[in-house]
Amino acid sequence: MSVLECVDLKKSYGRLQVLKGINFEIKRGEKKVIIGPSGSGKSTFLRIMGFLEPPTEGRIFFKGEDVYASRLNLNLIRSKIGFVFQEPSLFRHLTCLENVKIGLKCVLKMRDKEATEKAIEALKAVKMEEWADYYPAQLSGGQQQRVGIARALARDPEILLFDEPTASLDVELTWEVIDVMRDLARRGVTMLIVTHEIAFAKEVADEILFMNSGRIIESGPPEQILTNPRTPRVKEFLKRLVGGT
Amino acid sequence: MLLDYIDFIVQSFVTTLIMTFLGLSGGLVLGILSALGDVYGNRFIRIIIGAYVEFFRGSPLIVQLLLFYFSFPVLTGIKWDSFTAGAVTLMLNSGAYQKGYFKGAIEAVSKDQLLAARSLGMTSGQILRHIVLPQAFRIVIPSWTNEYVSLGLSTSALTVIGLRELTTISKSIAAQTFEPLEVYSLTGLIYLTWISISIKILNYIYSRVKIPGLEISVGAVPS
Ligand SMILES: Nc1ncnc2c1ncn2[C@@H]1O[C@H](COP(=O)(O)OP(=O)(O)O)[C@@H](O)[C@H]1O
Ligand SMILES: [Mg+2]
Repeated sequence: MSVLECVDLKKSYGRLQVLKGINFEIKRGEKKVIIGPSGSGKSTFLRIMGFLEPPTEGRIFFKGEDVYASRLNLNLIRSKIGFVFQEPSLFRHLTCLENVKIGLKCVLKMRDKEATEKAIEALKAVKMEEWADYYPAQLSGGQQQRVGIARALARDPEILLFDEPTASLDVELTWEVIDVMRDLARRGVTMLIVTHEIAFAKEVADEILFMNSGRIIESGPPEQILTNPRTPRVKEFLKRLVGGT
Repeated sequence: MLLDYIDFIVQSFVTTLIMTFLGLSGGLVLGILSALGDVYGNRFIRIIIGAYVEFFRGSPLIVQLLLFYFSFPVLTGIKWDSFTAGAVTLMLNSGAYQKGYFKGAIEAVSKDQLLAARSLGMTSGQILRHIVLPQAFRIVIPSWTNEYVSLGLSTSALTVIGLRELTTISKSIAAQTFEPLEVYSLTGLIYLTWISISIKILNYIYSRVKIPGLEISVGAVPS
């Protein structure tokens, strides 16, 4: 069953057209990775698929339902989608545990005890349970991202969206976040990931999509895209990304 | 000699405290509302708030007091006493300053956090209540301490509308006793002691509610 699907999705900011007609579908259990140059619209695409912004044109389906046409409650749908951002976005005034709990209590209306149990379980999944009572500022960037993943994960979402979760991290901290994501992939979580960690993409992705100035110009299984891309644009991008090796 | 007047002095100081309290708390409500209106409101709301703030920050408190006490009854036909006129003016005045402090504190909460809260499915009201305001209140305390000091001392301007607060009473005691040095020294000492103790208390509160990584101060903490 398809978890998220969009048809001819377009997005403009004023006169700037950022997304120029995207068709995309991800089914339960699938892992898809989006790569592409900066400014090509990857983050915008993810925000729109996470219902954080409406599209200018096009339709988006969540589990088969046309969300905007049927005027579904957006907050309800957002609560079923986990979003992990590029920038550290933990709530600064809350401990790790409270960061994970707040959505469970405010949105899913869980009782405190149940929310705590759920939150600790999610923190365990990212190996951060020992840091439950620390504040974000007391953690490294990688640890913050892991708590961010726990926060997205705690609600047992239908899908997790990742927007370059390791891009603002030092190289040494990247692996701990990637490790957690690899773990989730193994557990069968549906994931849509923007990342340039090519080795990781190769390992977990069912499909890699290449986005270029608002369009998906090539897509396919990792082996094909990474080793034998059809378009020169993708070839060139990958060459530069791997850095001559 | 001065001891004969101690009752008056204590009473007038209590009035000073009450006026400060009223001005600050009314100003707190006005300040938060105006800050929210300025950050989240439409153009019309922002223009109104801008004009309000401009007026109260751009004119002397004494003029504002005179205007409200003497001109308001002429304009509206409603008579009010110096206590009410003074309290209302202080609230409006402090609200204009507190608006700036709260606006800065609200805007200091990063956009990334707001987007993250939205992605959890929180409503705008929940985001305000659980994410924005708890951080803004902590961030604002240092500037708010400044406002407390500033407004507390400014209550002496109430003397122009004859309100019987500390400065007004000191003036009349000085006139009656012909001991201006003693009287005004005592008055100064009372203000000084009150304000330094208050700062200590507010700084203590700040240190208790402070959270690692959130100790960004918008204004300097008075020491
Ligand atoms: N809220 C916005 N307002 C105006 N322009 C935006 C906004 N968000 C993104 N853009 C523009 O859209 C383009 C694509 O941005 P983005 O989706 O962040 O790309 P990517 O994530 O691939 O780097 C950029 O030119 C960016 O400046
Ligand atoms: Mg991006």
